[in-house]
Amino acid sequence: MPNRRNFFRLGAVGLVNLFALALAVPGLKYLLDPLGKRSGSGDFRKLARLGQLKIGEPQAFAILAERRDAWVKYPTEPVGSVWLVRQPEGSPEPVLAFTAECPHLGCPVNLAPDRKTFLCPCHQAAFGFDGKKLNDVPPRGMDRLPVELSTEADPEVAVKFERFQPQTAEKKPLA
Amino acid sequence: MLKTLTDWLDDRTGLPGLTRRVLDRPIPGGARWGHAVGFALASTIVVDLVTGLLLMTTYSPSSSTAWGSVYYITYQVDLGWFVRGLHRYASFASVILGGLFLVRLVLVGAYRAPREVHWWLAVATFLLILGAGVSGNILPWDQRGYWAAMVETSITGTTPVVGPTLKKLIIGGSTFGNLTVTRIYGAHVALLPGLLILCGWAYAVLFGKHGYHGSEKSKPTEPYWPRQAFFDFALSSAILGVLSGLTVFTHGYSLDAPADPSSDDYPARPEWYFLPLNLLLHVFEGREFIATQIIPGGVVAGLLFLPLLAKILPKKLGDVAASSFVVTLFGAASVLIGVAFYRDSVSEPFHQARARADRAAERATLLATRDGIAPAGASYLLSLDPLTRGHELFTKKCLGCHSLGDRKPEESSASNLKGYGSVAWVRGLLEKPDSVDYFGKTPDCGGMQTWKESSKLTARELDAVASFVAGFAVIPEELTPGNWLIDPKVKEHPGFEPYKRECAECHTLGDPAKGKMEPAPDLFAWGSDRWTARMIRTPGSTTHYGFLEAENAQKMPSFGGQLTEDDLRMLVKYIKGDYEQALPPAKSSGK
Ligand code: FES
Repeated sequence: MPNRRNFFRLGAVGLVNLFALALAVPGLKYLLDPLGKRSGSGDFRKLARLGQLKIGEPQAFAILAERRDAWVKYPTEPVGSVWLVRQPEGSPEPVLAFTAECPHLGCPVNLAPDRKTFLCPCHQAAFGFDGKKLNDVPPRGMDRLPVELSTEADPEVAVKFERFQPQTAEKKPLA
Repeated sequence: MLKTLTDWLDDRTGLPGLTRRVLDRPIPGGARWGHAVGFALASTIVVDLVTGLLLMTTYSPSSSTAWGSVYYITYQVDLGWFVRGLHRYASFASVILGGLFLVRLVLVGAYRAPREVHWWLAVATFLLILGAGVSGNILPWDQRGYWAAMVETSITGTTPVVGPTLKKLIIGGSTFGNLTVTRIYGAHVALLPGLLILCGWAYAVLFGKHGYHGSEKSKPTEPYWPRQAFFDFALSSAILGVLSGLTVFTHGYSLDAPADPSSDDYPARPEWYFLPLNLLLHVFEGREFIATQIIPGGVVAGLLFLPLLAKILPKKLGDVAASSFVVTLFGAASVLIGVAFYRDSVSEPFHQARARADRAAERATLLATRDGIAPAGASYLLSLDPLTRGHELFTKKCLGCHSLGDRKPEESSASNLKGYGSVAWVRGLLEKPDSVDYFGKTPDCGGMQTWKESSKLTARELDAVASFVAGFAVIPEELTPGNWLIDPKVKEHPGFEPYKRECAECHTLGDPAKGKMEPAPDLFAWGSDRWTARMIRTPGSTTHYGFLEAENAQKMPSFGGQLTEDDLRMLVKYIKGDYEQALPPAKSSGK
């Protein structure tokens, strides 16, 4: 008789756990689905001709893209914005490109009212036109994006749009 | 150490003591499988609550997003098909167990004093389970859900006095709109489960008061733990096992094509547990209120009345009456469900309509997988698909006169449009204009035949003309006839010269004389989307077949006012075969 009682006791405990596991395992897999989905990294996109850019004067450009978000496909629309800063003749890099997403917490960085620095409207992170941070609000400078110039006389400036994690001292791409 | 902790917890919350009381609860007559039915019912409801919470992390309740999100759950999310399938099958199991539970309560006499409130709670639980099933069925906003909602809310609307108001409240207006899915969703995920949990809680409290019912008071009692607990868990686990197996075996629950209010042959059926009422609807044709109001109302009233019956009648007689009532009720429902399934299984029209619905569902899924769904909503998947929408329109508007290849030409009274716009089609026309595939059935368009009888063009020249004319379809829209004509490629085309010689006499090329009725259609951009669309919209314009108008002859009717711009586009693309025929198979994350 004690053996029979033990069988029911262990059996009952085992079955409860089995029941819970049978729900929890597929449930967790389902719940964690977004972790497995990668955000596709963008291609180089032509934004302007070099001749259109004025030296030392940042200009903002919208990144237009077709976006597929879960089940919806959106027609081409702005998905982000980029600051292009043309460098003086003879600099190793003719154009610097910064994503407008603030490395502090992701707000869109704008020009300061005096148009001499970048300033983020959310928590006043300030940056120079070289992207270096000017106060201690942001953890790092503005994030540079890769730039490609075409070979024509007045080359086309193409930028690869990427996103990075906010709040880290070094720039890490967003998975 | 552990003892101090449980003592402290017991003192502050009473939980350990409660657990002990539950585990030690005496069962008169001992543990038995029959006692496990109620627990199993609770377990399937728990499965639905858990899977329901998971689905809520992905589902998006609005008429434009519902289908897309359910599509996403079913075909894109890891194990989404499993979670959704299990949710559905567990709700079916809840209905069955709810019914069994009611029958058992009556058979063991647990519906009468002192357990009347027990019984009423159990009946309420059963009704709430039905409500949750019916509302959940609507949420994907696919054809199945849409038409079920249509029938069910219409029935609600026929309820005396409160019906119309109730219906308006449920769907958020007089007709289905943006609020409908959202409101039903609110009921499905908050109101109904909330009430279900409340019923379950109240039932548990009452159960604590009255304990297990048992007529064999004399027999020795046995504590709940461990045998009855084992029975409870074993039955619940076995049911979960069967439901999971069923889900894997059927690969989840199907998703129909997105809701299409304009469809006219969708074989709508309610959830299987409402098939008996659906069947009775046919029986009481003309007096539907018997099936929609009197019978369901009577059944619910009867169920609620049972404990009072036991008060009025002597105990034995009351038990017999109550038992025969519930057994007959659920027995008859089961038989009627069987009859309904049988009727469908032998009905050829049902199979055909179902096959069409399945094809539409498959096409919508493929398009959603390949292209994604436009922000405007899933209903545009098929209404902007030439193969689906164009075919539908062609069948309705054109097939009465024209054919598209596969119809017997004797049945048509106008040209066969199979291959319309191609070199072969034009060549066929030039060869034998009075063939039944061309103008054979429309003697008033005899101009081509008159030309043919006196034509001096050689076969080679006819080939060249055919390829020249078939090329008109790709003339870019922004090119004016004048600019097109000065393109050397046009002048040098081998078909140009013979065309000039024999065709240009009747057919102008974008240069019709103003206000003058042309004796034959203008052929500039013939076969292009715009030429064809204009032909459908206004066949009687002076540059198409207006001359027939003047002669009061047999002619194609104008479809201008009957087709939206999108529909016209789909129709033209369908006639020209301008659509993706084969698509890559949909990615399905299971299998
Ligand atoms: S987000 Fe830019 S300063 Fe905080």
